[in-house]
Amino acid sequence: MRLIVPIVLNCFLVFAVYILDKYTPAKKLPYMAKQTIIGLLFGGVSAFASSYGVEWLGTTVNVRDAAPLSAGLIFGAPAGIISGLIGGLYRWFSVYWGGGMYTRLACSIATILAGLMAAGLRKLMFDNKKPTWSYGVCIAVVCEVIHMILIFLTNMDNSSQAFEFVKGATGPMMLGNSVAVGVSIILISLFSHEYFFRKKTSEGIAHTFQRRLLSCIVIAYLITSTFTLILQNGMAQIETQEVFTVAINDVEATVREKSNRQLLEIAEQVKQEYEEDPTVSLSGLAEKYGIKEINVVAPDGIITNSTEADVINSYDMNSKAQSKEFVDVLEVQDSFVQEYSPRGKDESVWRKYAAVNLTDAGFIQVGYDAEQFHQMLNEFVIDVTKSRHVGTNGFVAVLDEQLCMVIDDAYAGKHISSIGIIPPEEMAQGRTATALYHADVVDGISNLSAEYMYVFKFVEGYCLIAAMPVAEAMFMRDASMLTSIFMQVIIFATLFVFIYLLIKRVIINNLKKINDTLAQITEGDLSVTVNVRSNVEFASLSDDINSTVATLKRYIAEAAARIDKELEYAKQIQLSALPTNFPDNENYGIYAQMIAAKEVGGDFYDFYKLSDTTVAFLAADVSGKGIPAAMFMMTAKTIIKDLAESGMAVNDIFTKANEKLCENNESGMFVTAWMGILDLTTGNVQFANAGHNPPLLKRADGTFEYLKTRAGFVLAGMEGICYRAGEIVLHPGDRLFLYTDGVPEATNTENVLYGEDRLLTFMNQNASMQATQLLPALKCNIDEFVGEAPQFDDITMLMLDYQPKKGGERMTNKVFPAKTEALTDVLGFVEQMLESLECPIKIQTALCVAIEEVFVNVAHYAYPEGEGDMALCIGYDEDCRRITFRMSDKGVAFNPLEKPDPDITLSAEEREIGGLGIFIAKQTMDSLSYAYENGENILTMMKNL
Amino acid sequence: MTIEIKKNQKETIIEIIGRLDTITAPALDKTINEDLGDTQNLILDVKGMEYISSAGLRVLLGAQKKMQKSGSMKVINVREEVMEVFEMTGFADILVIE
Repeated sequence: MRLIVPIVLNCFLVFAVYILDKYTPAKKLPYMAKQTIIGLLFGGVSAFASSYGVEWLGTTVNVRDAAPLSAGLIFGAPAGIISGLIGGLYRWFSVYWGGGMYTRLACSIATILAGLMAAGLRKLMFDNKKPTWSYGVCIAVVCEVIHMILIFLTNMDNSSQAFEFVKGATGPMMLGNSVAVGVSIILISLFSHEYFFRKKTSEGIAHTFQRRLLSCIVIAYLITSTFTLILQNGMAQIETQEVFTVAINDVEATVREKSNRQLLEIAEQVKQEYEEDPTVSLSGLAEKYGIKEINVVAPDGIITNSTEADVINSYDMNSKAQSKEFVDVLEVQDSFVQEYSPRGKDESVWRKYAAVNLTDAGFIQVGYDAEQFHQMLNEFVIDVTKSRHVGTNGFVAVLDEQLCMVIDDAYAGKHISSIGIIPPEEMAQGRTATALYHADVVDGISNLSAEYMYVFKFVEGYCLIAAMPVAEAMFMRDASMLTSIFMQVIIFATLFVFIYLLIKRVIINNLKKINDTLAQITEGDLSVTVNVRSNVEFASLSDDINSTVATLKRYIAEAAARIDKELEYAKQIQLSALPTNFPDNENYGIYAQMIAAKEVGGDFYDFYKLSDTTVAFLAADVSGKGIPAAMFMMTAKTIIKDLAESGMAVNDIFTKANEKLCENNESGMFVTAWMGILDLTTGNVQFANAGHNPPLLKRADGTFEYLKTRAGFVLAGMEGICYRAGEIVLHPGDRLFLYTDGVPEATNTENVLYGEDRLLTFMNQNASMQATQLLPALKCNIDEFVGEAPQFDDITMLMLDYQPKKGGERMTNKVFPAKTEALTDVLGFVEQMLESLECPIKIQTALCVAIEEVFVNVAHYAYPEGEGDMALCIGYDEDCRRITFRMSDKGVAFNPLEKPDPDITLSAEEREIGGLGIFIAKQTMDSLSYAYENGENILTMMKNL
Repeated sequence: MTIEIKKNQKETIIEIIGRLDTITAPALDKTINEDLGDTQNLILDVKGMEYISSAGLRVLLGAQKKMQKSGSMKVINVREEVMEVFEMTGFADILVIE
């Protein structure tokens, strides 16, 4: 019970250290510092446990080894070693303050070993992790076995004491230490929510193997131990029997020799006296020598003289086996002593005879009767048995024919049963024992009884008993059995560790290596190779994996090459979709560039004439990169262009395009765009912004500035968005620069953005440069800034120059009431303009006719329920010598161009009145276009002079 | 626009001076419908007519149709710019132009 205190202390400390290490600032300590502190703490527990034990045979049963085991297994190798050393040294020096002496060396070594063992096993077997509680218990048991073996080895000179100690201490010390270690590990497992029975599903080969191997080893151990037990038991029986046999035979031989010699001497003396005087009284001689019988026997076996008158000349020695023996033997030798045996003449009487040959012929025989024989021997026997021991505590006893003890002490004459040996059947019948007998022998003095083993043998009328305490008889057996069982524990444990380490080295470590490499390959690093060549199987596996990876690599490279090629095609297709017929021969110029970051990008620009007087232009950026972005870009570009060409206002184009792009936009892509529609005659730009970067606007006499307006939401981002249109009016010399976020967001190696400020500065520094030079220059500037960093995003730039070349365009506006009466004014206005242009009179007339036709049309039909106006805007481009008429009214929507032309080949009879006006206009002008925008009918007519 | 009418028995010469446009065309139309009487031959002298629009053409077509039934009509002294309109509209083939 005393052992519980250090066990609890050990468990508590394990728990406390675990908590401290896990949940307090102590966990931040460096590894070695932590290990040292833990080592010292557990060293202390070890020392405490050392002195707090149970006294046993002059030394202490304790659980000193538990602390270094716990420290080493649970917390780390250094902690285990340190605490083992402390515990061991404490034990060494504890003899100075009352520690047991004779287990000093063994205990010190064992404790240090415990620390080393824990450290080594944790490192080698458990991958520097805490083992399960079952392994903890096993290790503690093995450790204690080693401890016990050490006690044996260091006390070979007093093995029985060591054995006694080991026998008593093994149980409690094994139990105590293994409980301390096991409970400590279970406590931590419970606290850290681990299952202390490992889950089978997630078990590695190492663990399965460890478990199976352990089972096999334990079974092998049990079988071997059982076998040893049986063997040792048998051996011990045989050995004990041998000891008894030797002891009894020895006594027997001594007794026999003594009795024989004495009787033979008497026979010699009787012979001498008889031969000196053949008439001597045989009875007198018998009395003189203390013998019962003297016979003088003739060579033919007839007794010629005797102390017993009835046999003289009447008894033939040859008649009985007992007496015949003498006749036979003395024919070949001079003397013979016969064993104490029944007399031939009368078998109820026991005698002992000796005979010597007479010098002439025949022999003389002398014989003791029982009484004389035993009187003569008893004294001697007592001496013999007294000086003899069987083993250490065994004895030899001699019983007379009544089974009473022949001895001269207190036991003299007492029946054998008085000391606890109840005569078995064999003994009662006077037969020699054929087996080992057991009896509780009582010591008459101390009255203590102990179990003895004994055998007996009848010799010369005595019963010789050899007895030995069972404990002593079995000591050697137990000692050697314990030793061999302990040795087996160590051998099997070592075997287990070695086989495990071998398998780990040969298979598990290699598997782990291969797995690690495969993991790298799975993560995409195809450059690694598996190179485990420790045996043929792994070498072949490595080669297979390597060749698989090589094949994979080749396929990937081929696929990549194919994709690269396809991307290159895609890029070409995409680029060909962007217009490059940059206009610069009219009164405006557009130049644009798109530089994709990858092979295909999501950026695009576009421009196209919607009519003779309107140009649409836009820059846009599709979210994402690569083929999907490019495809989305094509869709967006097409949709916007289709809508623009249908004559919609710019904000409606975006609203409608947004709806269309939102349909089936599963991939969640979107487009930012800035689109403007420039009216070439007025310089008016209607624009809409769908989440795009603000363009840069430069007035003819100013600098570039950001045209920041409220942007609408991105296209394709959400359904139902209505975009608003903005408006600016460009004047000759104004420039509008559109770009995508690839420009301001170009990033250099230090992750600095090119930025709007840098863009603005550069544009202003180069504001006068032609667009065809300015855009490449800007790209160069960006490239310089970016340096080594890869181009992250597509870069798109579009420059619109509103620059009527050389003097530009003249333009005149006038609004007239839509009445026939105003015709004169209208024509006057037109003629005035045309005259100022020195227009040939023929063309002047034709143009006037056309204008009149349109105006009259408006005057007649546009405002059926009231009055209204018609605006006439006349523009003239000097460079191109082109004149443009833009006539607009807010009347009923009507497209005069849809009216079929009259058939001018008909005769006068067939010709109809009407339809001629527009026809004349069409014939006169080089181009006409009609649009209905914002409630206005707009008819634009152009004539090259 | 001014219109001068010269009547010679069954021949009427109408001289048109100035612009024959939407505003002035009704005046010519009225003259042709009302003042010709039983004229067999109508001669339109357009030496002074510098301009004609579809309204004028319509009047000329009406006159041509009317005269075809009872006599003849011809247009003389057509200016180049007017001739252009006639040709453009197919009137050059309808009218008798000298």
